[in-house]
Parts: sequence; structure tokens; C-alpha cells
Amino acid sequence: MLKINNLSFTVENPERSEKKIILDKFNYTFDQGKFYCITGPNGSGKTTLAKTIMGINTLTAGQVVFDGVDITNLSITDRANAGIAYSFQNPARFKGLSFRQLLGIAAQTDDESTLMQIVARVGICSLDFLDKQVDSKLSGGEIKKVELATTIARNPKLAIYDEPDTGIDLWTIGPMIDLLKKEQKEHHTTTIVVSHNKNFLEAADVILILKNGQFVYEGNLEGAMPILTESSTCESSDFCEGENDVRCFR
Amino acid sequence: MLDALDKELLKAVAGLEKIPKGAYNIRKNGKLLGRQVSANINIETNDENTGIVITIAPNTKNESVHIPVILSEAGLHDVVYNSFIVGENSDVTIIAGCGIHCGGDQKEGHEGIHKFTIHSNARMTYIEKHYASGSGKGKRTLSPTTQVFLNENAHAELILEQIGGVDIAKRVNEANLDNGASLLIKENVLTDGNQVAESHNKIRLNGRDCSANLVARSVLKGNSRQDFIASMEAYNKCFGHIECDAIIMDNATSDTIPSLKARHPDAELTHEASIGKIADDQLMKLMSLGLTYDDAVNRIIQGFLKAT
Repeated sequence: MLKINNLSFTVENPERSEKKIILDKFNYTFDQGKFYCITGPNGSGKTTLAKTIMGINTLTAGQVVFDGVDITNLSITDRANAGIAYSFQNPARFKGLSFRQLLGIAAQTDDESTLMQIVARVGICSLDFLDKQVDSKLSGGEIKKVELATTIARNPKLAIYDEPDTGIDLWTIGPMIDLLKKEQKEHHTTTIVVSHNKNFLEAADVILILKNGQFVYEGNLEGAMPILTESSTCESSDFCEGENDVRCFR
Repeated sequence: MLDALDKELLKAVAGLEKIPKGAYNIRKNGKLLGRQVSANINIETNDENTGIVITIAPNTKNESVHIPVILSEAGLHDVVYNSFIVGENSDVTIIAGCGIHCGGDQKEGHEGIHKFTIHSNARMTYIEKHYASGSGKGKRTLSPTTQVFLNENAHAELILEQIGGVDIAKRVNEANLDNGASLLIKENVLTDGNQVAESHNKIRLNGRDCSANLVARSVLKGNSRQDFIASMEAYNKCFGHIECDAIIMDNATSDTIPSLKARHPDAELTHEASIGKIADDQLMKLMSLGLTYDDAVNRIIQGFLKAT
């Protein structure tokens, strides 16, 4: 349902006046209705890949095909209206927009009963959430719940969640995973979660490990564990060779 | 009595579809168009014949008075001095506002100098909207001055909006607060094209345990310019806060100068100010919910201006 062909994404590296390759001739096909968890070291390109699918990042080269339609040149808006939804790792905060209004935009209605149904469907947001302002007063966990709810309210064919558990308390992660699995099952939502959290890895049908702009593993958790725990996916690589291009001396 | 243009202006600035019930004073092109008093609210022309005196009797509850001004006469510059006396223990709403329709090349303008005395334990909400329309090239000028004197434990809420079409605006807000008094000013200004708007605010916190909150939101488009200058001076144990945020677009420019002056060791004064373009993450979020870029911008601006 989502086919990525030879996708490359590079950014300028002004310090060295050269281009840094984040994704290099990347190819992958996501199947309809499956639950994917993309993991990998920091700086490996997970968020870049997710944002490129949504159209937030403009790819340098390649093609993205969604439901048989080439969406490479479509805007974020057009991709949203084609059925792709995106849950941001660091959600935007607004002065003057309530959760009710944001949910109304997502669901394209301001009908009270419809909004209540969505809140009930999401389950993790209490009803008094509706009139909260989506501003800086919301806690990190609350804003992530708002983000999740607006994503689900889109009724997407493809839902992308970038680190949905950030700021979420331990008691909510379980219900959140149950919710995403329920959406997958009942609405056949193709789900892509970017996460380091083992609970999401356990919930996924397919685990994809991204490193240096390529998937180095595709399969189940059992097969992924040796790679995830071995030294080549050093947890320090984000501030070691991962982001600053310093060679690893381990 | 009211022609179609009058009705459009009245609706824009005072939310009126027709002549209101209760007390009102409608001024058109520098002359009295209509006046109605009520049992508790008296309106009379002042001694100098330069404006009106509105007197609200003590203990008046849940009543409102409309005092809109409309201008549609080319070349007219209308200046009025209005006084408001809100009696003890009252709770009232005053809806003012000025609408200008400019159809020619001559400038039109209005200056309303409003002086409020809010007596002890009274509460007043004052809503003032400014709006200008018309295809004429004459400059539309609005320069309101609002002076508020709050006695012990009095409360005032001022909602001040400039909603479009005004070429030159110079607003002055001044307030003096006595013991236990509280003041909330919400100011929203939208400018576009070559419009210029200035807002000068001076709030004196004189009384013990008084408090003031000044919240200003500005949206600037085109080549417009806005200056927001606010000073809060504290002379007692009190609380004051200034919050001024501006969204700038296109080639607009803005100066924002909040100033806090503590003249008492127990004064607590804070401010937050920001000027910037619409944040990319806000636009991306709304576009990812299916809005076009332009619709996303409009929703953010609408929300921002209503956030006060």
C-alpha cells in the first residue's frame, strides 16, 4: 500500500560545505493493514523517513507511491486527504486553539456527539480534555494524547506515529498500544510506529531496524534482539559518531 | 433611522442588528442619532457639550449599555469626551466601538476619550471594537483614550479590538488601581497593507493587593506596523503581568516594549513578550489534518487573536 522507490534524502552540512546523506536510495514496501515498528540508533533517519512519507520533508530523489498513486509531488495537505496521518514526536502547541477545535479540524466536523465518540474511541483522553487549550500549559503526556487523538480522528489508511510514548506515563503505554492494535484490527489501518520502546517492538507485526539510512533488519522481535543488543548499535552513537561524525573508538 | 450602511457598521462594532433594548447612545457623523436611558442607567450630554456622561446607579446588576459611534461623512474628524461612573456593587457591561465607512478621498477619524470611575466592589466589562470599511482612499483614523480609575475592590475588564480597515490608530490606555482592585485588559489588533497602529499603556498599581493583567495580541500583515508600549508601575504589595505577543507576516514590522517598575519591595511584576512568524510546526500540524496552507494560517491567526 506504500511503496518507496530509491528514496534519497540529503541535507547541507554548512560546516563542511558538503551534503550529508540521511537516506540513500532507500527501497521498501509497507503492506496494507500491518503494524510496523521502526527502530534504530538516534540519527539513523527514522524521523526523516517518517516525515518524508508525510511530505513534511521534501525528498532529494526517488518516488513514494501510496495506494497505487504516485504522491511524490503531493503537498502535506493532499497526502493527509489521501489518507495518511502523522503524529508528531514534538507536537505543536497553539495559543488560542482548544483540543475540541483541533479534533474538529481533524474529523472535519464540530458535531458534539461525533467528537465525543472519537474521544470515547481513543479512550485515553478524559472528556474534560475537550475544552483544554492546546498550549504550553499542557504537560508533555497530555499533548501526546491530543496528538494521538487527532491522528485517529482522521480515520487514516496509513497512520504514522513518531515516538508516541514520549512523555506518556507507564500506566498509559499499555492502553495506547492496545488502542493502536485495535485501530489496526477494526479499521485495517496500516500502522508505522517509530519507537525505541520494547512494548511497541513486542506489539509490531514487523520490526524494521534502520541504520545509516538503510533497513538492516526486517522481521520479528526474536530475530531483532541480537542486533538491538549487540555493540554495533551502540546507545551512545547519537552523541558519538551518529550526529557529530566523530569516529567511534569502542 | 438606520440605513444599510449604518446597520453594517453597527453590527461590526457593537454586534447590533437593530436599535438595542435598554440604555443606549448612538452617535452618527458627530451628532446624536438616538438615546435611551433606563431606570438604573442615565445618559446625558456633558456640560461642555463635548460628549456624554453615563451614570450607573449603585447595585445595578446584569445590565448593559451600548454607545457606538458611526462615521460615513467625508472629511469629518469627530472628537468626544465621555465619562462613565459605575456605582458601588454594580455589575454592568458597556459596549462601545467605532465604525467608519470611507467612500471618498478625504480622511475621516474619531477620537474617543473615555474616562471611567469604577466605585467600590463594582464590576464592569467594557467592549470596544474598531472597524473601517469602504473603497475610498481617505485615511481612516481612530485614536481612543481609555482612562480607568478603580476604587477599592472594583474590577474592570476591557476588551479592545481593532478588527480591520483602520489606517492609523493611536490608542492610549491608562489605569489607576486602589486597594484590592483588579484589572484585565485584552487587546487584539490586526493590521494589513500600510496601516499603522500604536498602543500606549500605563498602569499604576497603587493599592495593596491590587492586580492587573494586560494581554495583547497583534497580527501584522503586508507592510503594516504596530508599536506596543506598556508600563506597569507598582507602589504597593500587588501583582501585575504584561503579556504581549505578535505574529508578523510579509514585510510588517513591530516594536514591543514592556516595562515593569517596582516601587515597593512586595510588588510582584512579570512580563512575557514574543514577536515572530507563525511557527512551522503549527502549520505542518494543521496541514497534516487536511487544511490547506492558507486555511492553516487563517485558523492560527483567528485562534491567536481570540486567545486573549
